[in-house]
Amino acid sequence: MENSSRTLEFRFERTIPAPLRMVFDGWLDPKVPGNLWNAAEKFSLDAKVDGLFFWTLNGTSHYGRFTVVERPAQIQHTWVSPKTLGKESIVTVTFKKQGEDTLMTLVHSGIPDTDAGKGHEKGWNYFLDIFPRLFRKGSRKEK
Amino acid sequence: MFTVDQLTDVLIAISHPTRRAIIGRLANGPARFLDVAKPFDTALNAVTKHLKLLERAGLIQRRKQGREVYISFRGEPLRQVAGWVHDYERFWNERLDEFQQYFRDKKKETK
Repeated sequence: MENSSRTLEFRFERTIPAPLRMVFDGWLDPKVPGNLWNAAEKFSLDAKVDGLFFWTLNGTSHYGRFTVVERPAQIQHTWVSPKTLGKESIVTVTFKKQGEDTLMTLVHSGIPDTDAGKGHEKGWNYFLDIFPRLFRKGSRKEK
Repeated sequence: MFTVDQLTDVLIAISHPTRRAIIGRLANGPARFLDVAKPFDTALNAVTKHLKLLERAGLIQRRKQGREVYISFRGEPLRQVAGWVHDYERFWNERLDEFQQYFRDKKKETK
């Protein structure tokens, strides 16, 4: 298995057209589409500080431990999956009132930088796999 | 820093099977222009155009050695693209889009 000390961080923002508390609660409600629990094939969820969760998608299990649950401002938990090489990455979700809407920011940090390495190692199969999907999504411009 | 324009250049460069084949050839090591062009059943002029697009994307570089010009592959732009489409980037975007859409639909229903 590859060992990488470099880590990646991804940051996402969405304006959700709903009040703060509704959005916060929605992120932890398995009935609401888009959150982790709703997408899971199987899950277990204990959303309190030091509470644990697991969920599976496409047969892959993910595990974590809640480190911050501050309704309605922030949820933070660790995230362990095969892609993090068993290490704890951190997911921080912040909710801020934005008029009648809620600004939601999700930061996933501490992800071992293995894909760039794998891209290098696996060579062309990686790119040939992903690019047809990319081009189906956007406008394909052939030159 | 990888700009959107650079990303577009790389995506365009590798969107064509001939250009991918050229990169596949160069990934084995630098080659002269005619050696690059040889396997393709296409005019040399067309190969030149493909090479220009690959060069613009930073995927190849030319180096003069004596009378010959050698073309070599540069992998860095592809590694940048690999970071751009990291699995987690795609995963969270899909999740958040679905989450946002749920609340948009809900808002429409209540109007």
